[in-house]
Amino acid sequence: MGGVEDDEPPSKRVKASTEDLRSPFDNSSRSVPISPLGGSMARPLLSQGKDDMIGSKGVIKKVEFVRIITKALYSLGYERSGAALEEESGICLHSSVVNLFRKQVLDGNWNESVLTLHKIGLSDESILKSASFLILERKFFELLEKDRVMDALKTLRSEITPLGIDKKRVHELSSCVVSPQQRLLLGFANLGIETSNSRLKLLEDLQKLFPPTVMIPERRLEHLVEQALSVQREACYLHNSLDNSLSLYTDHHCGKDQIPSCTVQVLQAHHDEVWFLQFSNNGKYLASSSNDRSVIIWEVHEDGELSLKHMLTGHQKPVLMVAWSPDDFQLLTSGMEEAVRRWDVRTGDCIHVYEKGGLGLISCGWFPDGRQIFSGATDKSTCLWDLDGKEVESWKGQRTTRTSDMAVTKDGRWIISICRETAILLVDREAKLEKLIEEDQTITSFSLSGDDNFLLLNLVNQEIHLWSIKDDPVCVTRYRGHKRSRFLIRSCFGGYKQAFIASGSEDSQVYIWHRGTGDLIKALPGHSGAVNCVSWNPADPHMLASASDDHTIRIWGLNRAHLKCKEAYSNGVADQCNGKGQ
Amino acid sequence: MMDLDPRQYEHVIVNDSDVRNIVLSYLVHNCFNETAETFLACTGMKQPVDYLVDMDKRKSIFHFVLDGNALKAIELTEQLAPNLLEDDKDLHFDLLSLHFIDLVCSRKCTEALEFAQTELTPLGKLHKYVEKLEDLMALLAYEEPEKSPMFHLLSSDYRQNIADCLNRAILVSAYPNLPSYSSMERLIRQATVVRQFLHQELSKDGPPTFSLKAFLKN
Repeated sequence: MGGVEDDEPPSKRVKASTEDLRSPFDNSSRSVPISPLGGSMARPLLSQGKDDMIGSKGVIKKVEFVRIITKALYSLGYERSGAALEEESGICLHSSVVNLFRKQVLDGNWNESVLTLHKIGLSDESILKSASFLILERKFFELLEKDRVMDALKTLRSEITPLGIDKKRVHELSSCVVSPQQRLLLGFANLGIETSNSRLKLLEDLQKLFPPTVMIPERRLEHLVEQALSVQREACYLHNSLDNSLSLYTDHHCGKDQIPSCTVQVLQAHHDEVWFLQFSNNGKYLASSSNDRSVIIWEVHEDGELSLKHMLTGHQKPVLMVAWSPDDFQLLTSGMEEAVRRWDVRTGDCIHVYEKGGLGLISCGWFPDGRQIFSGATDKSTCLWDLDGKEVESWKGQRTTRTSDMAVTKDGRWIISICRETAILLVDREAKLEKLIEEDQTITSFSLSGDDNFLLLNLVNQEIHLWSIKDDPVCVTRYRGHKRSRFLIRSCFGGYKQAFIASGSEDSQVYIWHRGTGDLIKALPGHSGAVNCVSWNPADPHMLASASDDHTIRIWGLNRAHLKCKEAYSNGVADQCNGKGQ
Repeated sequence: MMDLDPRQYEHVIVNDSDVRNIVLSYLVHNCFNETAETFLACTGMKQPVDYLVDMDKRKSIFHFVLDGNALKAIELTEQLAPNLLEDDKDLHFDLLSLHFIDLVCSRKCTEALEFAQTELTPLGKLHKYVEKLEDLMALLAYEEPEKSPMFHLLSSDYRQNIADCLNRAILVSAYPNLPSYSSMERLIRQATVVRQFLHQELSKDGPPTFSLKAFLKN
């Protein structure tokens, strides 16, 4: 007595089994299981009868759903399909009055359209007036275009002004009658040329005035889908791909396969430990510096492969760090307690050497305008130079380490530096304000996020702390797992919207955390020595570079085999749906 | 109420012929030619001949402006004081605007439109006239300009103001050495300013600001 007959052919639609539906055709028992055929058939969306909610949650009104689809069909240009849907569903996109109104507007039957407007049944007086105003204004301008000046003036005086709204506009129209220059100013000079287009635009403007039940807003379906995609993207925990890879077929959900975790290239050109590396701002180059006193500029090719472009020699000591100019045309390098050099990226030539008599310089960086550079020295002071080497300013700090990191925000306003072993000072140059970040442990290095709102600190106790610096500094997340005991290890932001944190480690692995939650996502083995520094390509969220004591640089990317599988699958499905039906 | 001791006023001697000159200047200034003639006859004062001749013409110009017949006023002004309007662009603009307003009021839209296009818009290139022009053109939009936001342009006060300006300009151009305001007006202004100054300087202790109405009632 209960259950569906087993000999029912699978193509017959199964009646939905929720208790809410009162379908008069349902002869079988109510307790039909949800997927009697093993779950391979999709549950039917639409119910028969008078029910007007659809969807599994019952929150979608059927009439609205169908009308939006109809509107989308018409917008895409599928007139016949749109009309067929209207007929088959019995749900009209627009009432006949509205259809008449639209036709009249597009044909330019202004007076009739105003009359029809009043028959649509809008209760709000102000909407009626605003809509009439738009239509009559259009009539006015088309009359002016045809040089029927007195008719236009009559329209203005007897039809537009009595509406009693938008006096300012009325006065502007008045001056349009008198002087053609005014018409130009108001942007109405070329009406005649694109009449049909501009009438469509008028219809769109009118649509915005009406409540959406009267006239469906343009591109409503597209808007809803975009919203859904946005929500999916925001919710994607491990999202690390560029936007155009979102598909409508399945809910977007990145797995760990979007995080670079495979060594795709090993760069062996340095003769000693590689201490520092950084991608250029445009992601087209990578610069690395080494204990072997050289700096190498690598070029990133279209296919993701890197090749050596220049080897920059000249430093007499190991090179501690490099800094790309904001426009990526130049590179600063600083030797260990030595000089700072400025190089031309294209030619590989050394353009300038900056020295401070008697002192050793240990760090370097650019100001955002690209016209000044700064450098930290062994006597705990920081120097500011213009490009020609003229010293602009210098000030004393309290702190010196092997690298005294310094950063400047992109608007040139804030200077961030390590002022004590356990504190970082942020100075606002314009407002003369100061902010302080204080830690319990010694800070060994830091980096600034791309949006200038966050600071990532590496601490001596093997923790990495993320601080928000926009208002009052506050520590938001901590990352643990990597190893650091003797050397300076650096970390960085990276990935899509800098949603990930990567760091080197003394156990030869590269560590990657989810920035928001602090969860460790991956630890990548491969190097045979401590990993000193990592850099994530700002232009390619799938490319990560690491520098190690084993004299090599590793480039990490996605697992290729995995990717090929995925592409094949989606291509297959696409082929079946391609093109218009028979 | 006057705070000052009334006896102080008695020490001031007012010469009668001065007073008569003040009255005459007022009459002449405002073109009351018949009254001026009678006054001169009664008091036996000597009449400055050219004053009277001009007074007739000035009077008619003044009244044409008051009536809104700006074109006629312009024509007569050109005869009486040639180049005056060329030199005073603001005044010329105001008179032309009056004519435009007159056309609008008489509902002669086509003429108003043409007049605006030929005479007024060329002046629109000057920045100081732009706002004024916008207000004038906006009048065209109303079938009942009296009910528009710019109704003050149609008022007699507005016309009176322009008529006064024109009258003064003519006097100045004809008699550049003489003041453009009648002595009576100047005296009242003087009193007002002095009292105001005293009031500001001495605040509570000083006399109140001058009010002609209060003075006359007293």
